[in-house]
Amino acid sequence: MGMRQHLGRTLLTLWTSLAAAESALTADLRESLQIHGFAAQAAIKTSNNRWFGPSDGTSFDFTEIGLNASFRPLPRLLLAGQILSRRAGAMADGTPAVDFALADVELWASPEHRAGLRLGRLKNPLGLYNETRDIPFTHPGIFLPQVVYFDRVRNLVLATDGAGLYGAITTPVGNLALNLLHGQAVVDENVEWTYLNTGFPGDLQPDGNSWLASLWFRSPAERLKLGLSGAILDLRFHPDHSAPYSPGAGTVSIHYWIASAQYSAQTWTLTAEYAGEPLQWRDFGAFPPDRSIRTEGYYVQGTWRPYPPVELMLRYQEGFADRRDRDGRDAEASTNGLIPHYTLFSRIAGVGIRWDITPHWMVRADYERHQGTFILSTRENRDPGRLAEHWDMLGLQLVFRF
Amino acid sequence: MSWPAASTGPRKRRPWRARPAAVAGFLATLAAGAAQPQQLIANLDVSPQALTKNEARLYFAMHLVRWPDKRPVRVFVLPDKHDLHIAFCQHVLEFFPYQLRTGWDRQVFTGTGQAPTVVANESELIQRVATTPGAIGYASSAPANPNIRSLEVR
Repeated sequence: MGMRQHLGRTLLTLWTSLAAAESALTADLRESLQIHGFAAQAAIKTSNNRWFGPSDGTSFDFTEIGLNASFRPLPRLLLAGQILSRRAGAMADGTPAVDFALADVELWASPEHRAGLRLGRLKNPLGLYNETRDIPFTHPGIFLPQVVYFDRVRNLVLATDGAGLYGAITTPVGNLALNLLHGQAVVDENVEWTYLNTGFPGDLQPDGNSWLASLWFRSPAERLKLGLSGAILDLRFHPDHSAPYSPGAGTVSIHYWIASAQYSAQTWTLTAEYAGEPLQWRDFGAFPPDRSIRTEGYYVQGTWRPYPPVELMLRYQEGFADRRDRDGRDAEASTNGLIPHYTLFSRIAGVGIRWDITPHWMVRADYERHQGTFILSTRENRDPGRLAEHWDMLGLQLVFRF
Repeated sequence: MSWPAASTGPRKRRPWRARPAAVAGFLATLAAGAAQPQQLIANLDVSPQALTKNEARLYFAMHLVRWPDKRPVRVFVLPDKHDLHIAFCQHVLEFFPYQLRTGWDRQVFTGTGQAPTVVANESELIQRVATTPGAIGYASSAPANPNIRSLEVR
């Protein structure tokens, strides 16, 4: 009986203190909890070749849905997470995944200096658009410039499970921001299709941790932004030994860096970025052979807002699988024509129009003229012999956000 | 010999012709300034009496989330297309509204920050700033509300 009373009192005390803590938390939550999300659906038509589904007919296989929440339980602590479902032809099937989930602790903050630490699954701050590459309204065009932000290996550079340090200095002449990330890259099967050219039995997994860094200069009113960012990571192939044929336990070393420049005026924005990607294959055995190449890509993009809810875009981009073999002729000759030369480069001219109908609804249309098929996924286009060198892409996209 | 004479003539007169235009331009600037005296407003409990332009930018961009006394900053704004929002961005912060929106979206959709609270109109904005501790916002003129102070942006 006494025992029961004691237990009862303890439970009551616990319940009261929990209720008090909960009401304090609820007040804080109500003040600082934010929930945002979006949904986007595209329709894609290509003259030849497959891009995000059976686009040589008309593809509706590009759908993105995201939901995120953030709140500050303490003034210097931010907790945030996002779930993303992405359907992208043969490259992604729409299974919801944790896009980011992190705790951000402010270590130091004054108008002149700020520094903090982030832990969890962090978006990789590469170039102007990588962090928000799956958030349609944050970038011009339905598709990012593919020669810099390859969608076929997006997961390789998408996020890191680990820790990040950030710091910023604000001065009267501008703002400098530095970001450093260390952790495990989050990779998927598309990475294997790209770097081993096909899906072998076995797994291509991160070999140790990767490093990422970005440095940005912004003029005081952010008219000018200049950035340098990069990632270093190694992938190791884990062969399935029961399979009749599989490459050896080799590694792919990837260095990926982007130089960025953007100038923003009232009615127009001019953007240019260059990406270099030195790659090294080692110890796979007969195939793929040991070699190192440097992949590169760059684009220039102008956007013009003649009437605020409407934005027009003009963009030109070029990308090369191997900068020493830009026209792909050497690769074609060395494979006796098995790999057509135009699969090793892409030259793309594009125009687009975007209309932000309301703060919640946006619609846009893009047209691209392609020469070469370097940006295409081998997973979607399995027979290189059937690829067309010259092709067009027309895309429409409807986006809702809140 | 006629060539320098021909060129010095207009060169001498030009400042005189330009002067009325300059005066008119100066007056027009004053008039425009008087017509758009956007005020940065704050709840009475906010400690700073004035902000530098850079500080104002950091608070509205939501890069700085605490006041010097370590209490949280609460930012209230009007919709992106609202005339007062556009005027405040351009004249006080010297940002274009789309730049602020891009920054807020980046923070919200990468989990590295939050977005300000958007309210429907100016009177609601003034009301929210007056009743929320640590709040800042803006108004088209200094509001006659005892719980609000205008902060000078230098």
